[in-house]
Amino acid sequence: MNRFSRRDFLMTSAGAALATRLIDPARADVEAPKRGGTLIATWGGLEPQSLFVPAGGGSSPYFTSTKVHERLLRFTVDLKFEPVLALEIKPAADFRSYTIKLRDGVTWHDGKPFTADDVVFNVMEYWKPISAGVSLDALESAEATDPLTVVLKFKAPVPEFFLKSVLAGKSGLIIPKHIYAGSNIITNPINNTPVGTGPFKVKEWVRGSHVEYLRNDKYWNPSLPYLDRLVIRWWRDPASRSAAFEAGQLDIGTFNPIPIPDIDRLAKGGKIIAETKGYSNSAWVATIEFNQRREIFNKREVRQALMQAIDRQFIADTIFFGRAQPSVGAIHSSNSIFFTKDVQDYPFDSKKAAKLLDAAGYPVKGGSRFKLNLVSAGWFEENEKIGQYIKQAFEDIDITVDLVVPDRATSLKRIYTDYDYDVAISNNSGSVELIPSTTEFYTTDGIVKGAAFRNATGYSNPKLDEVVARMAVETDERKRIALAGDFDRLASSEAPLLPLVDLEPVTIARSDVRNHSTTADFMGESWAELWLDR
Amino acid sequence: MLTLTVDFARRFARNRAALVGFVLVVVVIGVAVAAPWMFPRNPLRIVGRPEIWPFVNPRYPLGTDSLGRDIAAMIAYGARTTLLIGLCASLTATIIGITVGATAAYFGGWVDEVLMRFTELFQTIPNLIFVLTIVSILGQKIEYVTIAVGIVSWNPIARLTRAEFLSLRDREFVQACRAMGMGNLRIMFGEILPNALPPVIVLSSLVIAGAVLFESAVSFLGLGDPNVSSWGRLIGDGRTLIRTSWYICAVPGVAIMLTVLALNLVGDGLNDALNPKLRDR
Repeated sequence: MNRFSRRDFLMTSAGAALATRLIDPARADVEAPKRGGTLIATWGGLEPQSLFVPAGGGSSPYFTSTKVHERLLRFTVDLKFEPVLALEIKPAADFRSYTIKLRDGVTWHDGKPFTADDVVFNVMEYWKPISAGVSLDALESAEATDPLTVVLKFKAPVPEFFLKSVLAGKSGLIIPKHIYAGSNIITNPINNTPVGTGPFKVKEWVRGSHVEYLRNDKYWNPSLPYLDRLVIRWWRDPASRSAAFEAGQLDIGTFNPIPIPDIDRLAKGGKIIAETKGYSNSAWVATIEFNQRREIFNKREVRQALMQAIDRQFIADTIFFGRAQPSVGAIHSSNSIFFTKDVQDYPFDSKKAAKLLDAAGYPVKGGSRFKLNLVSAGWFEENEKIGQYIKQAFEDIDITVDLVVPDRATSLKRIYTDYDYDVAISNNSGSVELIPSTTEFYTTDGIVKGAAFRNATGYSNPKLDEVVARMAVETDERKRIALAGDFDRLASSEAPLLPLVDLEPVTIARSDVRNHSTTADFMGESWAELWLDR
Repeated sequence: MLTLTVDFARRFARNRAALVGFVLVVVVIGVAVAAPWMFPRNPLRIVGRPEIWPFVNPRYPLGTDSLGRDIAAMIAYGARTTLLIGLCASLTATIIGITVGATAAYFGGWVDEVLMRFTELFQTIPNLIFVLTIVSILGQKIEYVTIAVGIVSWNPIARLTRAEFLSLRDREFVQACRAMGMGNLRIMFGEILPNALPPVIVLSSLVIAGAVLFESAVSFLGLGDPNVSSWGRLIGDGRTLIRTSWYICAVPGVAIMLTVLALNLVGDGLNDALNPKLRDR
C-alpha cells in the first residue's frame, strides 16, 4: 500500500475521470451548467426549403423548426415520455378519450399566452389534416374544457404508446393559433420566421449561409435556455464541416456531419467527441424504392429478384465504413419494441436473382433484360455511391441502368412529386412507433402527391392497409407487437420499398459542449438544456 | 501542299514548349483511344478493396477510389470523356462564333448591332454559373454538358471573327468577287473565311482547354453524368477523403493540369505557325 505513490493516485483518478467522460459524455455535467455563449451547430445535410415545413419536409426543416416550436411531450433515451408543454396526458378507461393538462404560464414569442385553444386548433386544423395524417384518423373532436385542459375524443380505442408517440413525434409540433388561424398553414410566409413557445427565437435567416436564433428570455422555464445565441449554419460538403470543426468554427453537428473516415482522426485528440446516442426515435435508413406505376416493377417477383441482386453488406462496410448494417425487414434493428428477424430476407445472390428474373418473364434479349432509370437522391454523399454500386449490381444481372443523382430540390420533386423514376435510392427516419412514420411508406393513404417522405411508389395493398388499421386501434401492447410483425412480414415479402441498410448516425461535438444527445431524437429537441463549458 | 505542311510543321516545332504540348496531347489521345484495350472492363466497376494507394498493388497502378474502382481505368476512360467534350464543345462554339461574327461583320448595319448586343449579353453572364444553369435545366447528360460549354464559349470567337471579317470585307479581292456576281454566302465562307481562319483556329484550341476545365467543374459539383467516368467526377468523389486518401483527388487533378497546359502550349505553337507576321522571327 505504501508503494501507491501520489503520482499513481493522480494517474488513476485522472484515468477514471477520463473514462467516465468517454463512456458517457452526456452525463459529464454533474457540475452546474454555465449560462451564456453562442453555439454553432449544423447537421449532415443541406439548408431547408423553409425554416418550418408544416407538412413534414424532411430532417432539415425539422432541425430548424424544433428550436422554436415545442411539443406536448418528449421521448427520453430509454423510451419514456417526459412532459414539455403538457403536464399530464391520461387515457380514459376505454381508451376512446384522453385528457391533456397543459403547463401554465407559457407564452408565445410575441407575448400572447399559450392556451388550450391553441392545442385544439393544432389538433383539428394542423395535425389531423396536415402533419399527422392517418395517425389521427380516429380522432373525432378536441375540446378545451378550461384554459389549461383539452379533451380528445376518438371514434375507436387509441393505444396510449401510439398517441404519446404522435404527440412527442415529428408531427406533434405546436403552432400559434392567432397567427395561423384562417390562413393556409402550408403556404403561410411566417413559416420562414416561425413563432413558437420554444427556448429560441428566430433572429434572421441568411439564405445560403445560416439561421440565427436568440435566447427567449420569457421561456416558461426561467432557468433555460443556457445559451444566449444559437446559430445553425450549413456547409455543402462533409469535408468542409470537418475542417470547420478543426478550425473551431463549428461546435456540434448532428447526423453524420463529417466524412466517416475523419471521425476517428478528429476524436483522437479528445477535444472532439463522437456520440451515437440520441437517435433511437429517428432511426435512419437508406431505402430502395420501386415505382409501382411501371409495369415491370409492379411485379413482386421482379422486386424480390432485384433485392437479391444487391450486396448490402458491401454498402454497409464500404460506403458507410462499417457505420451501418444490412437491414432486416422494414423496421430498423434499433427499435427495441417492434423489431423482428422473422421476415423474408434477401441474401445476396446474383445468380438466383438472374434466375428469378428469367422466371418472371424478363430473359436477356440482345444483352439486356430491360432498361431502368435509377434516381439516387443527392442529399447525402453516400447516396451517390450507393447509386453507383447498385447500377453495377443490376448491370451484373444484365439490366441496363441509367443513373442520375439530382440535387436535393430536384430529387424531392422527381421522387415525391412527379414520381419520375423507375427505381429510387432515398432515405427516411422512422420513430419507434411505426404508425405513421414507417407504415405511411407502404399504406394506400400514404400516397400524397408532393408530400416528401411518404409512399412515393404508389404501392397499394388492402391486406397491408387492414393490418395497419387494426394496429392503430389495438390498445393491448402485446397484440400490437404481433400486428407489427404481420406488417413487417407483408412489407418485406412485397418489397415495394425496403431499407437497404440501417444507418448508425453519429453526432460530432466539441468536448466543451455539454448535455447533448440526451433524448431519443436529439436533433429534433429544443436544445434548451445544452450548455457550453467555456 | 506537301511543302506547305512541312513548312508549317517546321514553324510549329520551332516553339519547343509547343512541341512538348503536342506530345502530351498525343499521349492523352493515345490513352483515350487505347482505353478499351488497356482496360477491357467497364471502368466504373468495383474491382478491388477501396482506397488502395497508387504503386502498391501492381494490378491497380494508380490505386483504387473509395468504392474500390480502378483509378487507372477511370483516368483512361475519363480521357475519352474529357477530349470528347472538349472537341465537341469547341466545335459547337466555333460554329456558332464564326456564323455570328461573320454575319455581323459582313452585313454590318442593324444586323451587326443586334448580333453584337446579343454577344455582349452572353459575355456578361458568368460562364460557370451559366453552364450549371443549363445543365441543371437540361439534365445530367454528357451531351447537355457539351452543349452548355459550347454555348458559353462562343462569344470571343464571334468577336474575333467579326474583327477579321471587318478588315477583309472591303479588300479588292472581295470587291472583285462581288463584281463577278458571287453570292453573299459564297464570298463569306469561300473567300473571306479561309483568310480569317488562322487566328480563329488558335482561339478554338484554347476553347478546348477551357471546356476541359468546365467539364471538370461541373462534374466536381456532382452535376456531371454519373454514368460515364470523368476526371472532374473523380476529384469530386475523392474530396471527402482528401485528408486521408488525397491521391484520389491528386491523380485526376494532375491529369487535368497536364492536359490543359498541353492544349495551351499547342495553341501558342499554332499561333506561331499560323501568324504570318511571326513567320521569319
